[in-house]
Amino acid sequence: MADHDAWRELAEIYVSLQMYKQAAFCYEELILAQPTIPLYHLAYAEVLYTLGGLENLQTAKKYYASTIQLTGGKNTRALFGVCLCSAAISQLTKGRNKEEESSELQSLAAEALMKDYKRRAPSMEALVAGMLKNMKLS
Amino acid sequence: MGVECRYELAQAAYVKLALHALKHPAAAVNGLLVGRLADPAASPAVVSVADAVPLSHQPHHLPLLPTLELALTLVEDHFQAQGLAVVGYYHANARRDDADLPAVAKRVGDHIFRYFPRAAVLLLDNVKLEEVVKGSSRDAVVQLYTRDSSKSWRQAGSDGSSQLKLKEPSTNVVLADHVTTKKWQKVVDFDDHLDDISKDWLNASLLG
Repeated sequence: MADHDAWRELAEIYVSLQMYKQAAFCYEELILAQPTIPLYHLAYAEVLYTLGGLENLQTAKKYYASTIQLTGGKNTRALFGVCLCSAAISQLTKGRNKEEESSELQSLAAEALMKDYKRRAPSMEALVAGMLKNMKLS
Repeated sequence: MGVECRYELAQAAYVKLALHALKHPAAAVNGLLVGRLADPAASPAVVSVADAVPLSHQPHHLPLLPTLELALTLVEDHFQAQGLAVVGYYHANARRDDADLPAVAKRVGDHIFRYFPRAAVLLLDNVKLEEVVKGSSRDAVVQLYTRDSSKSWRQAGSDGSSQLKLKEPSTNVVLADHVTTKKWQKVVDFDDHLDDISKDWLNASLLG
């Protein structure tokens, strides 16, 4: 139970076979054993997103958020992940009135992404800005 | 529906995908194909693949949705201005003699097919790629798969040359040339970009 690399490899094999539920289980074990490693939170969030469904998306968003916290806001994948989750969740809950505190998280993530792109990859900035704007509307 | 749809592969797309595969010789790589329907009135229809966008090379990111969705959105938005759209997907297996189209490739292919009914999936043939690198082959190193009416991905012809055509006949020579200058080190895929956003996944400066 303590061989973390084995759990990781098993998770990757499950993902390559598209057995996402089993992969999620492996990542859960890893997060339980080493809760401060952002890599596991991120991988878990991605698998949950791939599984889909409202509950999984909401949990994925939480784990993307915890990744952001553990990496000090520097992980691009997690920032994008939050935006993708929010867009997908709002698609699923269209017509239902569920105005939670989530909108702040999404705009903060979007802002952080824009700042980063402005600083390090200005050529992509307009493209990413357009995409984020579309997501907020949907 | 163009059953006998022909595909024309531009040099830029072909070289980029081959270089991407060469950069990560031990891993499976994949990417998107961008292009347009060359002449809507022509029959059989010809799809012109103008460019390739490498996606990822890490086995635990390959089949997961977030990166793929992000890439599809950004690629569509960017290439729309040039009148191009996502027309296909390419895949290279990790193992040298693995010539099967894996399930994940079929899934992505199905997804793209929904938006572009003449979507193509290209599977890189690792053995042929080796020969091209040594400069001893003029065949295309990719195998074309198209979607037939039974919703499964079918290999196009035994040699594929009737449906898939390289736009510039000297493409393989150009590829071998790039290999000798170690151009494959400079290929940037979407995974690289997410790890360091200053890397350009459009590979604008790659082929000069």
